[in-house]
Amino acid sequence: MAPITPFNASEISEKARRDLLLLLESIRGKKNLVLEKALAGTLNLLVKFSTLQEYGVDKPFFLENDNADESQRNVVFLVRGEKASVVGKVAEQIKRLRQNSQIEHEFSIFWVPRRTMVSDQLLEEAGVLGEASLSEWPLFFVPLADDVLSLELEDAAADLYLRKDPTSIFLSAKALMLQQQKYGLFPRIIGKGDNAKRLADLLIRMRNEVTAGESSSGSGSFLGLAPSSTIDSLIIIDREIDFPTALLTQLTYEGLIDEVFDISANQTEVDSSIIGGAAPQPGQTGSASSSMKRKIVIDPKDPLYSTLGDSNFAIVGNLLNRAARRLQSTTERNQLATKTTAELREFVAKLPGYQAEQGSLKLHTSLAEEIIKHTRTDTFIRSLEVQQNVMSGADPTTQHETLTELISRDMPLPTVLRLLCLESTTNAGMRPKDFEMFKRAVLQAYGPQHLLTLSALEKMGLLQARGGSALGAPAAKPGTVTNYSPLRRSLRLWDDEVNEAEPTDISYVFSGYAPLSIRLIQSIIQKQTLANIIKPPSNPQTSAQANPLAQGLRIFDDASKYVKGTTFDERQVGEEKAIKARSMLNGSYHDGSKAIVVFFLGGVTRAEIAALRFVGGQLKEVGGEGRGSRIVICSTGIVKGGGLVGSAIETGRFS
Amino acid sequence: MSKPTANWEKVGDKFYRKVELYKEVFDQDLELENYHAAGAPYSGAVAIYRDESKIYSYRGSAGAKASIDVYSCAGKLIRRINWDKGTIKGLGWSEDEKLLVVTADGTVRCYPDLHGDFTPFTLGNGAEEHGVQSCKFYSTGFVALLGNNHLISVARYDEPRPKLLAIPPTADVVSWAIIPPAYSLSRSVEIILAIGQTLYVVDATDAEDRDFTAGPFRHISVSPRGEFLAFYTEDGKVWVVSGDWSEKLSEYNSRAKTVPKDMQWCGSNAVALAWEDEVHLIGPKSAATKFYYDSFLHLLPDVDGLRILTNDLCEYLQKVPDETVDVFRLGSSSPAAHLVEASSLLDQKSPKADDLIQLIRPSLAEAVDTCVKAAGHEFNIHWQKQLLKAASFGKSVLDLYSSDDFVDMCETLRVLNAVRFYEVGLPLSYDQFKRLTPERLIARLTNRHEYLLALRISSYLHLPTDKIHVHWACEKVRISTADDTTICSLVVKKLHGKSGISFEEIARAAYDEGRVGLATSLLNYEPRAGKQVPLLLGMKEDNIALDKAIESGDTDLIYHVLLHLRKKLPLASFFRVINTRPVATALVESSARVQDKDLLKDLFYQDDRRLDGSNLLLEEALSSPDLPASLAKLKSASKYLADGKDYTFQRTALDDASKLLKMQETMEKDLSSTPTSTPPVLVGLSLHTTLFELLKLGHNKRAMKLQAEFKVPEKSYWWIRLRALVSARHWLELEDLGAKTKKSPIGWLPFFNLILEAGNSRVASGFVGKCVGETSTKERVEMWIKCGLLVRAAEEAYRAKDRGLLEGVRERAGGDAGVEVERLVGLLGRGR
Repeated sequence: MAPITPFNASEISEKARRDLLLLLESIRGKKNLVLEKALAGTLNLLVKFSTLQEYGVDKPFFLENDNADESQRNVVFLVRGEKASVVGKVAEQIKRLRQNSQIEHEFSIFWVPRRTMVSDQLLEEAGVLGEASLSEWPLFFVPLADDVLSLELEDAAADLYLRKDPTSIFLSAKALMLQQQKYGLFPRIIGKGDNAKRLADLLIRMRNEVTAGESSSGSGSFLGLAPSSTIDSLIIIDREIDFPTALLTQLTYEGLIDEVFDISANQTEVDSSIIGGAAPQPGQTGSASSSMKRKIVIDPKDPLYSTLGDSNFAIVGNLLNRAARRLQSTTERNQLATKTTAELREFVAKLPGYQAEQGSLKLHTSLAEEIIKHTRTDTFIRSLEVQQNVMSGADPTTQHETLTELISRDMPLPTVLRLLCLESTTNAGMRPKDFEMFKRAVLQAYGPQHLLTLSALEKMGLLQARGGSALGAPAAKPGTVTNYSPLRRSLRLWDDEVNEAEPTDISYVFSGYAPLSIRLIQSIIQKQTLANIIKPPSNPQTSAQANPLAQGLRIFDDASKYVKGTTFDERQVGEEKAIKARSMLNGSYHDGSKAIVVFFLGGVTRAEIAALRFVGGQLKEVGGEGRGSRIVICSTGIVKGGGLVGSAIETGRFS
Repeated sequence: MSKPTANWEKVGDKFYRKVELYKEVFDQDLELENYHAAGAPYSGAVAIYRDESKIYSYRGSAGAKASIDVYSCAGKLIRRINWDKGTIKGLGWSEDEKLLVVTADGTVRCYPDLHGDFTPFTLGNGAEEHGVQSCKFYSTGFVALLGNNHLISVARYDEPRPKLLAIPPTADVVSWAIIPPAYSLSRSVEIILAIGQTLYVVDATDAEDRDFTAGPFRHISVSPRGEFLAFYTEDGKVWVVSGDWSEKLSEYNSRAKTVPKDMQWCGSNAVALAWEDEVHLIGPKSAATKFYYDSFLHLLPDVDGLRILTNDLCEYLQKVPDETVDVFRLGSSSPAAHLVEASSLLDQKSPKADDLIQLIRPSLAEAVDTCVKAAGHEFNIHWQKQLLKAASFGKSVLDLYSSDDFVDMCETLRVLNAVRFYEVGLPLSYDQFKRLTPERLIARLTNRHEYLLALRISSYLHLPTDKIHVHWACEKVRISTADDTTICSLVVKKLHGKSGISFEEIARAAYDEGRVGLATSLLNYEPRAGKQVPLLLGMKEDNIALDKAIESGDTDLIYHVLLHLRKKLPLASFFRVINTRPVATALVESSARVQDKDLLKDLFYQDDRRLDGSNLLLEEALSSPDLPASLAKLKSASKYLADGKDYTFQRTALDDASKLLKMQETMEKDLSSTPTSTPPVLVGLSLHTTLFELLKLGHNKRAMKLQAEFKVPEKSYWWIRLRALVSARHWLELEDLGAKTKKSPIGWLPFFNLILEAGNSRVASGFVGKCVGETSTKERVEMWIKCGLLVRAAEEAYRAKDRGLLEGVRERAGGDAGVEVERLVGLLGRGR
């Protein structure tokens, strides 16, 4: 029997694909598809447009554009049903089509990922509930790479921290619960942060409810709710506990592509003048990009890209060079002359591969060049300088000069806000005097409408005066704010001897700063290595086991005192009988091959993914700590600093 | 024991058998000919109602009342539904034994289980005006034919959506039939209508004429799996056509003068024609046989056969399964037949048993399989035993044989025999049982209140029992007259420790009976918070419902409750409810932000959240259509904060915003009155951009005024000024500034950088000298080089007596400059 791999990316996407196609098949004849913009990328990732066409999709429309026409009798809506505004739009369009059209339409709505009571209620009020047949497309996790599963909830961070709307926690819990039902319970749930705690509580609650409710589904649940033998643990990290990591400019190649061009659902749009006349990607969903923008798929399976993506950008040039030279030497003409026919045949068979590689090389060289241009701008250099100084623990006031200058020079608002928030979040708030000064400066430079932006940032806890709220409350209680000064030392968040070319520590992703979120995870799954990083053993000959710091959860416990939010560590045990039965079924597993699931609530950055992959690689090595070699990264979505502050920025202005 | 072949009948080369299921089914007084009958699939219940158009003998007032009577196949009355709701035009069953009653006005009543109350829905689509003529049912839905020949299809009963199908011609429909969606080519329901001489096939999109001329067709019947169609023509012939209409398979002449009352398929192999007391069974290749009965009969088709119902009898007519034929056919020489023979010889202690076994030795395993299967198809317990005994005997001879099938069959037969017992009255055949599945059999038993049997079967087959318990508890709650606490403790005691019990369902039953107290106490035992919410809302326990919704973490549920409360409560009490629950407040806030700003305003006011309220007004100011409206909103936003002393910064900022807007407006007016080039648009810009625009156009005075008014820091002002001048290419002014001013608050380096960036190295070079304080010699040398002035660079290096730098310059210099640099190098060298 093939081993059961929990959180199997291809399995998950295959299931999602099948579910959707089945739904489409259930509607007879051609149909127009109206989808939410936010779902377009995901859809494209899972199903090729040509496949959709095979299943009768005639024309796709965006719900936001409100332009679905009456060319087909069948109209299918593919939308998320959690937000009332979206439901309202669907109702409006059904009404509009019904009024304007000559023919009688058949409306279907596929709710993603579930049909909600609120949507029913709203449709009923709008008088269209009876018009449409409703079904669900249970799409929770969308695999972005083999080890990255995202819920693709764009607004998760803003919902959680700005509007305090816990919908994404519930959806996360549902998604994880589905996996638990399939592969067994997480034997241990450990994590940090108030929302993370809520998620863990929900998981435990759902487990009880499932035990109470679904025993009628047969004997499957008897096994389903025993602790898994293939999963080691679930680690939940709340974005709130470590905003600075998300605010920093990411310095890995993939991170920088995201910073410069934006990646959504593994696709990025690049001006076609940059990448030249590369062949258009076949089977794109959405309008043909005849404009100047061209869509590029960032494919984690591309062999060249897989070596580049997680590397620090500083060495990407070298890597590209090396790849180019290797390609050249293998395809060079004079070499061909000396080959025997057998060798030649082998060579010809490999040619398409070379061509693909060449294409990819060309693409990434052009992208890298463009990014280099970007990194040479004054804004980039200055803001990076501030970031590095703040993270290395320099007195923040020394950076104020630069900050004021950047504001006076009318640098883009998101850049400025990222820096201000960075200072505030690393130092548990700004001095009230500085805080007011910067607020005034921002208002003067970017307009009074940003009073709203600033107050949104305050609500999210990104920009604060020291001492908690602006009301001048007494000094912050422990656990209400993350305090970086002690952590910087105790977790060694700053690494002066960073080696970007041959990294020895995760600090390479930010060229010095080791992300707190990942350090916390390391303190759980890679204690020994971390302990040696923090306190190098005096005698390198002594066995690594000797480091007293690595005992139990000492590092984690010590560190969590200075980190915002609740700390929790729950164990889910089941009946012994069931555990035995499961391990009999799945074959016994060494601890080493179990999966560790890391869930980032509120979003994960690409730099963090790179760092975690680095940790995973270390675990796999001989002599690694072997508690699990497969790290699965789950999240509500991919975030970056620009997006985080961007959700707070007020876009309206006086006119 | 009579021979198993006693009830066999040969039709063509196939055997058919009539199994007598039950005797003395109905009261002899019941005039079955005056009744319509409909049987639920898989040998389920039979519903009959009196045909209003027929005369019947008067039996006193009791008999005169119209009713729908539901019987088991054995004739046990399960339920009587008194009927006074109009003419019944359709009576049918769904696969899960829901009874559907369609009346002429298009109302459909769905009785979900045999005892409960009905849920109604209407067909719409003109059913009311034109009236329903008749209905045809399939496993999960039905189609109704209206007076104007419109067809309405309902595909499911949990959320019925009556759909009008394509419209056929309006001539009289002689007869009609449907092909269920599961078996039609298009995977949606198809209807065959006999109109005039021809046939029409109708689906959701079109009505197609099949161009037949042999009509009118009196009866149409579709085989259970849609593979064959049968038509009865006016001149007494039966045609069988393949399901894809490609081939006419057989034609049979009944030579009957009267049109039969009914025509149905018996399984997928034969067609049965029924007159009052006579049945013709027509097999493949037009072979036929006839059966005669003593009294009036009804045909009830099922997936693998046909039930025949008379006052005295309930019979099952089916093709004899192949395995059974193998074993029992007269003169059969199949291994299985030998095995049965051997087994009975063994009983007689005859040595021939072994001879026979040796004879069939090579195919013994197969023979055992056949015996096991044949046992399954047998209705008679004696023969079941004989067959299993034979199988067991054969099994013992074999060295290696997996007994799984044998064991399964024994279990299944035990279950089948139990439910076939006349008091239960579910005469399932083996195939029906396999298709029905044990789970749904259990559901049928609980619907018949056969709880004990259901529990026994569940534990025997290792099936979950929670639904049975819940069903029992619901029923208990409904009919019991004991007081609340007694029932509650009784139910809880019985169900304690059983997993999967939905107390919510039981509580709902209690609530529906009007026993609110009982419902509340039962609901406390429900572990799933989310489940409790809808019922709690129904019970008007709003606050508890909200708390439970929040507990479940499901925002959809919380929204659901909130929407409900918002509609029901006056605003003030609504706010009071959500006030103490932060999650609820957050959700109200975030949904109101997009939908209902007024609600938000009230909320902030009620809660005294001044900052939020003021921000909301600011938002409104931003979206106001014109400046006066914006200003008014800004003013009220500022006023909103007036009382609090904590908001000084916010207030000042708001006031500044108004002030800025007003000043921008005045300046805009002033500037457009002066006949300069295009007047700038200032309103809405930020302070910095306004300054930038003004400086760019050279309105220095106005800029100064703004700077003073808003206390723009000197440094920022200089930066703006520099950027504005550079972007407007005011080189003269820049040079002027450089010449006249000694000190710049931002230093002179930015001047150099920005001007050089703008491409004017000449002007830029003018600033190099001013940067002495803020740059090193090396940097200044670089700056000179950037301006292309190598000689000056060399001089700079020379002044600092830096040989290294100087030599660096020399490397780059050529021509005249080279000579000069060389000279300086020489000078420096000599100076040493």
